[in-house]
Amino acid sequence: MVLKDTYDAIIIGAGHNGLTLGAYLARSGLEVLVLERRHEEGGGLCSEEVTQAGFVHNIHANYHTFVDMAPPVGDLDVRGHGIEYVRPEVQMASIFDDGTALTIHTDMDKTLASMARFSEKDAATFERLYGEAHGFIDLLLGTLMYQPPLNVKDLTKALGTFGVEDRSEFLSVKLRRETINQFLDRHFENDRIKAHLAFHGAVCSYTNDVMGLAIGYPLLIGKIDNWHLCVGGSHRLAHALWRDLAQHGGVMWSDAEVTNILVDGGRAVGVRTADGIELQARKLVASTVSVEQTFLEFIDPKEIPEEFAHKVKTEVVHKDWSLFSVHLAMRTFPEYIAAEFDPDVNRAWVVNLGIESTGQLDADWKTIRAGGLVDPRPNAAVNSLYDPVDAPPGCTTGLLRQFAPFALADGGEGAWDEMGRWYGQKCIDTWRRYAPNLTDDEIIDWSVFTPHDIARKLPNMVRGDWMMGEISLANMLDQRPLPELGEYRTPVEGLYMAGSTQHPHGFITFGPGYNALQVIADDLGIEKWWQQI
Amino acid sequence: MPDIYTSDWYEAVKEAINTAVAKLSDVPQDEFTIAVEIVGDGTTPYVAEGDVRRFLIRLEAGQCAWYRELDEDDPSVKLNYRFTGPGTAFDSIAAGLADPIDAALSGTIKVRGDMRFLMRQAEMVQVLLEAYSQGVDTVWPKGCPPYDGVN
Repeated sequence: MVLKDTYDAIIIGAGHNGLTLGAYLARSGLEVLVLERRHEEGGGLCSEEVTQAGFVHNIHANYHTFVDMAPPVGDLDVRGHGIEYVRPEVQMASIFDDGTALTIHTDMDKTLASMARFSEKDAATFERLYGEAHGFIDLLLGTLMYQPPLNVKDLTKALGTFGVEDRSEFLSVKLRRETINQFLDRHFENDRIKAHLAFHGAVCSYTNDVMGLAIGYPLLIGKIDNWHLCVGGSHRLAHALWRDLAQHGGVMWSDAEVTNILVDGGRAVGVRTADGIELQARKLVASTVSVEQTFLEFIDPKEIPEEFAHKVKTEVVHKDWSLFSVHLAMRTFPEYIAAEFDPDVNRAWVVNLGIESTGQLDADWKTIRAGGLVDPRPNAAVNSLYDPVDAPPGCTTGLLRQFAPFALADGGEGAWDEMGRWYGQKCIDTWRRYAPNLTDDEIIDWSVFTPHDIARKLPNMVRGDWMMGEISLANMLDQRPLPELGEYRTPVEGLYMAGSTQHPHGFITFGPGYNALQVIADDLGIEKWWQQI
Repeated sequence: MPDIYTSDWYEAVKEAINTAVAKLSDVPQDEFTIAVEIVGDGTTPYVAEGDVRRFLIRLEAGQCAWYRELDEDDPSVKLNYRFTGPGTAFDSIAAGLADPIDAALSGTIKVRGDMRFLMRQAEMVQVLLEAYSQGVDTVWPKGCPPYDGVN
């Protein structure tokens, strides 16, 4: 590949947001270069054979919950680039210690029947909540996800003017003063149903005990049955986006670590790589990596206001818990004891093991925030149930994921290197309690990916922050990650933030890249061909 | 009193909207082109089942500058918003029997376009919708929702 000296747009980071932005700009006729520090595109969309050859494990992103909701999936013809998504018919389950289980299906009638075994009243409430949330999800997505962010005050005022409070059983401006726990306590009665719904929030990074997060919770319920699996590994999505970029003349350059953003006269004019290569940007530079990397490492301090740099150092808020993962190569599917109660648990893509109540989750958060390890209550995903190509014939992959601290109270994040295998074994032992057929003979190999590994492999995920910024009321909408950056523009003219640090947040939403595109298009006068109203 | 979906009725709605918005103190000066698609749902007698009645409406500084009915979708028109829904829903709103915000919140009427403006200008949007749903005394020659007789 022959690099040019100058491009219209240079994008730092080839995660799904960087590739999305790059592909749209390339389709708009700009010369685009996307630079990636790692050996391949994808960022968190990395799928690797970390156990044995032939077993494809999603090291980071596994759940794609905005498929067919995010505009780029259609605009960039993601499926046309050879990608296949499966929406597992048994989406998720919670298995409890007494051998009972709750299952979430794509068939809502089956979900309601499962819930009714625990509480008929809660099943009826959930039906109303889901119905309402599903009805307004288009509006919410259009208003809150796939647009540059509204101001919280504008949003609150509009909800009041439209009288949403009087029209809805569940939506209210008061939700910004509620935790998800409080929301669930107001509407539901059964501890296990509440635990499952709280877990669903947490696994989407909406921690159930954080004040104000009830405001986003109905949106999560509206897509509770929209979890998709990317067949062959999540990385295939990155590859599809790269193909779209390349087919429209864009270039992705891997093993190209950016060390500097070049600024001239207050304007971003290019980048310098670790190899010392300088590349010029005629129109824009967009960063999809962390705020800290962008403003404290890449830019000469004299090019940004001192006060702003101080805010980056002190006010960017990261998640106070991370994820510990165990990747397994296995010879069999799990056979749960709870299948006697509900046979569908054996077909559930994701199984939440042993969280009995929101109180139990709350206690775990307390321990984790103090740097402690809890008795594992991991969630277990078996992609091979729905992915015919992620493991050799007759074999399966497994993914255990446990909420965990980034830095351990005893030894900091470095202690994970000593503790990882030990804690991984405890997670496997827990899984085995619920699925006794997963004996050592059935587990061919396994490896761990600790919170420290997240930060080492993906340094934009500061302190293992897989959302690239805390999910909290103070860090939402135009306040994310700082008010000065909330509209994707930065104090440096021509430099944009377009990664998961921005509204809406991390996860495979495409939102930050798509929304930054709207702002860039406004600034550069690019025809918004993608807005087919 | 004009018959629903006639020129006189559109004029009356336009007049109702413009009069109501003129009373607002802080009207955004933006210009918008809006498409409304009323889909025959087998219940409304005003649009044959499967057919779509399409309208374009031009708002300038909150005032309805013009409107027109289209035979088919015109992709050359640059739209700011598109409202699509079953005929029964639009009829019910025009009859003052259903609330347009409820229809949007429930997904009965799909709204496409930049929601931020609608949220920021919630007061004007509310006035526009009220004028549409309550500002005109409408005659229903083929019956008023729920269409159980001619009114």
